[in-house]
Amino acid sequence: MKYVGIGIPNVDVLEKVLGQARYGADLPSESPLHLKVVRSTKPHAKIVEILTEEALCISGVERIFTAKDIPGRNLVGTITKDQPVLASDRVRYVGEAVALIAAENPEASEEAAKKVIVIYEDLPHVTSPEEALSIDAPLIHEKGNLLLEFHLRKGDVQTGFKEAEVIIEETYTTTWVDHAYLEPDAGLGYIDEEGRVTVICPTQNVHYDQKEIASLLSLPLEKVRIIQSTTGGGFGGRLDLTVQGFLALATFHLKRPVKLIYTPEEVFQVISKRHPLKIRYKSGAKKDGTLTAVEVDILGDTGAYASYGPTVCIRSAIHATGPYKVPNVKVRSRMVYTNNPWSGAMRGFGVPQIAFAHESQMDILARVLEIDPIEIRLRNALQVGYETATGQPLMASVGIGETLKKIRIFTEEARGGRKDESREPKIKRGIGVSSMWYGIGYTGIANPSTAQIEIHPEGEIRLFTGVADIGQGSNTIALQIASETLGLPPDEIQLIHADTGFTTDAGPTAASRQTYISGNAILRASKDLERKMIKEASRLFGIGENDLFLEEGKIKSRRAPRISIPIKEIAKRCGTVIRGEGTFDPETTPLDPETGKGVPYATYAFATHVAEVEVDMETGKVKVNRVIACHDVGKAINPKNVIGQIIGGVAMGTGFALMEEFIPGKTTSFVNYLIPTSKDVPEVIPIIVEDKEPTGPFGAKGVGECALIATAPAIINGIADAIGKRIYRLPASLERVLEAIQKRKMKSP
Amino acid sequence: MIRFILNGREIEVEVPPHWTLLRLLRERLELKGTKEGCGIGECGACTVLLDGMPVNSCLVLAPKVEGRRVETIEGIGNKESLHPLQKSFIEFGAVQCGFCTPGVLMSAKSLLERNPHPTREEIKEAISGNLCRCTGYQQIIEAIEAVVNHLKRETI
Ligand code: FES
Ligand code: FES
Repeated sequence: MKYVGIGIPNVDVLEKVLGQARYGADLPSESPLHLKVVRSTKPHAKIVEILTEEALCISGVERIFTAKDIPGRNLVGTITKDQPVLASDRVRYVGEAVALIAAENPEASEEAAKKVIVIYEDLPHVTSPEEALSIDAPLIHEKGNLLLEFHLRKGDVQTGFKEAEVIIEETYTTTWVDHAYLEPDAGLGYIDEEGRVTVICPTQNVHYDQKEIASLLSLPLEKVRIIQSTTGGGFGGRLDLTVQGFLALATFHLKRPVKLIYTPEEVFQVISKRHPLKIRYKSGAKKDGTLTAVEVDILGDTGAYASYGPTVCIRSAIHATGPYKVPNVKVRSRMVYTNNPWSGAMRGFGVPQIAFAHESQMDILARVLEIDPIEIRLRNALQVGYETATGQPLMASVGIGETLKKIRIFTEEARGGRKDESREPKIKRGIGVSSMWYGIGYTGIANPSTAQIEIHPEGEIRLFTGVADIGQGSNTIALQIASETLGLPPDEIQLIHADTGFTTDAGPTAASRQTYISGNAILRASKDLERKMIKEASRLFGIGENDLFLEEGKIKSRRAPRISIPIKEIAKRCGTVIRGEGTFDPETTPLDPETGKGVPYATYAFATHVAEVEVDMETGKVKVNRVIACHDVGKAINPKNVIGQIIGGVAMGTGFALMEEFIPGKTTSFVNYLIPTSKDVPEVIPIIVEDKEPTGPFGAKGVGECALIATAPAIINGIADAIGKRIYRLPASLERVLEAIQKRKMKSP
Repeated sequence: MIRFILNGREIEVEVPPHWTLLRLLRERLELKGTKEGCGIGECGACTVLLDGMPVNSCLVLAPKVEGRRVETIEGIGNKESLHPLQKSFIEFGAVQCGFCTPGVLMSAKSLLERNPHPTREEIKEAISGNLCRCTGYQQIIEAIEAVVNHLKRETI
C-alpha cells in the first residue's frame, strides 16, 4: 500500500505551525455585535422574573434575549431533549444560561450582563445521586431523578460465585473531570449569501448542531448552516452545543454578524464534565485466576441534564467485565439527575471509570492468588468465538491476547529496574498492568456515515465528508483512504469537510468511530467512483468492464497493457461531474431492556498498558516514569497519528489518575484545575498491534479513547505495587496516597 | 502611542494603557497567531518573545513593550521558508489541534537561541509553561531534540 499505513504529516499542519489556522476567536467579521450570556447563580430555583430595563439603558446595548425570544423548541440534547438553551421557568445548576446580551462592543455586553436582574425563588437542591434517589428528594425533572437504569445479565452469578475459590468485593469512586481543551469556545454567526442562519465555531458534529439549531429556531434544515472552524481540541466537550444556540438565536433576530467568545472561566463552569461514577464491584475466581462471575453496581451523576448520561450508563455496564471471558455476569447501572454541573461525553464515555474498577479487581486477584498480572489477564482474555456479556460472539480482530504477550517482556525489564530502589529508601517503585477494551461507535443504535467523492471535467477531484477533525487527524486519514483507492497522492484531492452547506452527515467525532465508520463511507465512495470510472472508460473505449482496473489514478486494461488512461482524462472526455457515493453503518442490534442482550458494537479495540511508577513515601508524590502502551487498532491508517493518540491519551490518563479533579463551586480555571505539563508526563513507548478487522477500512478499528482508558488503572496498580496499599478513589492525589501509606504504617506492628 | 520592534520591523501604534500585549497583537495588529487560552498566565498559549525571552503576553501591559523587541509566531517563518522548528514539528507529528503550537514554538525558539544544546530535561523545563492537552508533549520534545541534534551536527 502506498498511502495507507504511512505516517504522512497532517494536511492542516502547515497553517497550524505558521499561526495561520483560524480558531473560533480568530474568525474575521465586519463590525459584529458582541454577545454575552447571563448565567444563573443558583443551583436550583424558579425564575420569577428577568428585569432587563437597566441593562438595556447601557449605551451600545442592542438587544437582550430571553427564553421568550426562542421561536422553536427550547430543548436540546443529544439523546434526551431536556436542556433549554436559555432557561425559561427554572434553573437547575449554577452557570445555566438565562439571558443573552447583544451589544456594539464587548465592554457594553459585559456591563449589561451584570445589570440584568433575575428574580429567583430558591428550590431545594440535590448534590449527590444517593440524595437524588431518596423518596423525598426534590424533583429536578418532572419525569423523576432517575434518568436511566440499565441491566445486563449473563449466566447466573450465584452459581458463579459458588464456584469461585476467591471473591473480591470493593467500591471505586471517580469524580468530575474537565476536558480542559485549550481553546475557549467561541464563534461567529451571520446570514450567508443564501440567506441561511450560519454559525461557524469549534464543534465535533456540524450535522447534529444543524438539527438542534433548526428546531430551536423553527427553521427548515436547509435554512441553517454550521461550519466547523479549526477546533482547539474536543475530547467530547464539543459534542453538545456550546456557543451555537446563542449565536444562531441572535443572528436569526438581528440579521447581522454576531460574535461570542466564552471567557476561560465560563468554559470551566458551563461545559460538560466526565461523569462521576461510584462502582461496587464483586469478582469471583478460581485459584488459577479464571473468572467465574462478576457482579457490578454503577451509580452515576449526570448533573442537571441528560446529555450523554444514557450512553455512559449503558456503555460502562457493557464494558464492566473488561476484555475478559466471564461466564456469569450481572450488572445494574443507574444514571441520576442532580443539581451538580452537568456531565456529558468525555473521552471514553464511562469506560475509563469502569476500567479503573475492573483492572483494580484483576490486580487484587493477581496479588491474592499470587499470579503474575499479565498471566492472569492472559488466562481470562477474550478470544475469537467467545460470547461477550451481551451475548455477542466475537468474530474477528480480538487482539487483547496479543497486546499482553507483546508487553510481557517490558514488565520483566521493569522488574529488573526495581532492584536498585534501596538506594533511596523514601522512594518506592512499582509496576502496574492494565488492559482495556472499547466498542467502536455508538452503542446498539444506527450511527451511519456518508461521503462523496467527485471528479470534475477540469480534472479536479473533491472529497466531501462531514467529519469534524478536532486535531486527531481525521482529515488526513480521509484523504489517505481515498488516495489509496484511487492511486493518487493526497495533494491531488481537495477535501471539503464539516460544513453542512456542502457535506452530508458523518455523525459525531466520538466513540473512536470516525476511522472505522466514516473511513468505510469514504472507502465505499471511492470504490463507487472507481466503478463508475471503469464503466465510463469501457463505454468510451469499447473495452469490456471486466478487463479494466484502476491503478495509480489510471484505468488500465489487463489484456492490453498499453492502455492506461488517467481518470482525469476520462472525466474530461465525459464532460460531466462523475460522483461516487458511500454510506456505512456498523452492524449492531439494539440491546434487550431486561438483559442487555444484543450486539452493541460491530468491533472492539483492545489495549494493555504497563506503568512504571515511583512513590515518595514522605510526601505521597507519585511520579510515572514510563508507560508502555500496546494497542490493537486493527490497522494503523496513519501510524504517526495513532502514536499521537496513544501518547496524548496516556498524558490525559495520567492526569485522570493523579491530579484532575473538578470541584463544583471551587474549580474556576487552570489555576486550580491542574493538567499534566511536560514535566508530569511519563515517557511513552507505543506499540501497535494490527489484528485486522475484516469490516474495517483496510482492517482499521479506532484508537482515540483507548490510550486514556488503560492508563489510570495501570498507574493505580503501579502505586499498589509500590506501597502495598490501594487507592479506591480517583485522583490519587498526594493526600490520598499519603493517607494510604499512613494507614499501612498504623496497621503494621 | 508606543513604538517597538515587532518581528524585526519598527512600528508605532496607539493603544489604551490598560490593554495587554496579547490584546494589542490580536485586536489592533490583527496578528491572530498568538492565542488566548486562559488569559491569566497559566497556559502559555499566548507566549511571545520579549527581547528574546518568552513571556505570557496576556500578562504584559502593552505600554511595557515600548522600545523593546517583540517576536510572534508570524515572524519566525513563512510558507516558503519555515523555521527549522516548524519543519521539525511537522515531521514529528508534534501538532494535533494546534492551539498550543504557536506558544510552544516561541518557547522552543527562545530556548535554542539561549542554549543551542539543551538536554532533554532542559527542553521539558523550557516548555513546561506551555500546556498541551492533545499531544502528551513527547512528539514536541522529540521535534525540538531533532533540531538540537541537527544544530550539533552543524557545529561539529
Ligand atoms: S493566555 Fe496567556 S498564559 Fe494562557
Ligand atoms: S495540540 Fe492541542 S493543545 Fe497542543
